[in-house]
Amino acid sequence: MRTKLVLALVLLAAALSAAALLLRDGGTQAPVARITRDGVLVEEIPLDGIQEPRSFTLEDASGSNRVEVEAGRIRIAQADCPDQICVKQGWISDGTVPIVCLPHKLMIEIVGGGGDLDGAAG
Amino acid sequence: MRKRIVSAALALLLLTQAGCLRDSRPVEGTTFAMDTVMTLTLYGGWDRERTKEGRDWMMGRLVYFDQLLSAASETSDVARINRSNGQPVEVCELTARLLDQALALCELTGGALDITACPAVKAWGFTTGEHRIPSGEELAALAEKIDSSAVRLEGNMVTLPEGMEIDLGAVAKGYAGDQSRETAQSYGITSALIDLGQSTIVAVGGKPDGSPWRIGVVDPAQPEDYFAVVELEDMAMGTSGGYQRYFEADGVTYWHILDPETAAPARSGLSSVTVVAPSALTCDSLSTALFVMGLEEAAQFWREHPALEFEAIFVTEEGEIYRTAGLEGRFSLAEGYRDREVTVLE
Repeated sequence: MRTKLVLALVLLAAALSAAALLLRDGGTQAPVARITRDGVLVEEIPLDGIQEPRSFTLEDASGSNRVEVEAGRIRIAQADCPDQICVKQGWISDGTVPIVCLPHKLMIEIVGGGGDLDGAAG
Repeated sequence: MRKRIVSAALALLLLTQAGCLRDSRPVEGTTFAMDTVMTLTLYGGWDRERTKEGRDWMMGRLVYFDQLLSAASETSDVARINRSNGQPVEVCELTARLLDQALALCELTGGALDITACPAVKAWGFTTGEHRIPSGEELAALAEKIDSSAVRLEGNMVTLPEGMEIDLGAVAKGYAGDQSRETAQSYGITSALIDLGQSTIVAVGGKPDGSPWRIGVVDPAQPEDYFAVVELEDMAMGTSGGYQRYFEADGVTYWHILDPETAAPARSGLSSVTVVAPSALTCDSLSTALFVMGLEEAAQFWREHPALEFEAIFVTEEGEIYRTAGLEGRFSLAEGYRDREVTVLE
């Protein structure tokens, strides 16, 4: 009787761990653009769900950046920072390299969506 | 007996299940320091809180290094040395150690790396963004003042001749990278990618699944693309390229990597150099030095210094790709570049 109970427990544990595994690996995540300023989250935009391209402006005391979003990609289209590096970088569509506006401490990175590379040097 | 087998099975199952339930997400961190954005991706052991403590400690240290080593910050050790008017200055132990290693590298590279090129970098306007082209006479006078062998370091006392200035920009990130790796390891972090603004990357271990980290190398002709992929495991990597900071005037590109000999942008025929080595300081400093040397001299330097344990990837201004033999198995061309020829240096 006791053995049966233990056996049932074992089966339950097996079922649970299978479920945990399935849940954890359940599908690849959809890409999300995560916008942060000085490490603080400003906005998260799921890039797959975008039907119409849209743009918006992020502003604070350091200056402003106009962000454009299309299906699967995002860029900074305009900024009043001196170096314009964020604008020159253009569109990003994967998580390899984030867009960074150093003078405004603004960062746009894409999380999820897989991608082949873990980082970039250059 | 049967009971025992069942309990053993149960114990085994619980153990494996615990493994499944372990939090597989990385602990991440971002900080703005040393004129760039630094990102940490850390995978620790069981204790996620301890990994977070490690992250916080690393981020604090990175900001501290910046405050200590930035030439732009008035209160930094470097700024104090530059203001010393030839008088000895006592610096922090950490600054002294970095300076010691940096001076040794300057000597080892025969002056291709020189931490006293700061006044020349300023004269070209690379520190302020107000770019200008100094005259030939001005450059000759600036080049005259570039000589890291004139820097005296005794214990923690630094003496810099009057009229000279130092800048640790070519070595500070590498040093910070090596220190960050030590911190990671002391917090039990076995798998991490420490990205100090793309020019310096440190891999602790491989990825959590055991495979190496895959890092793209920027195509200097098209900086939004990667021409190659390098696999890293317990290795650091650093890249110097003319495309990173430059200005154009009358159709000529002037980049921020200066030849200490001429005080002018180094035109050695190379457009980017990537160095892979266990030490991030080696990667950071050599990528600059090899860029200044040019392909031939750099290849010779690689052959003559096996003790530095570095490998390198070179791209010329014509777009030719060269790599050293030791990268076999760790280097591959990226998609879209598979038909490019790679010359292997032996």
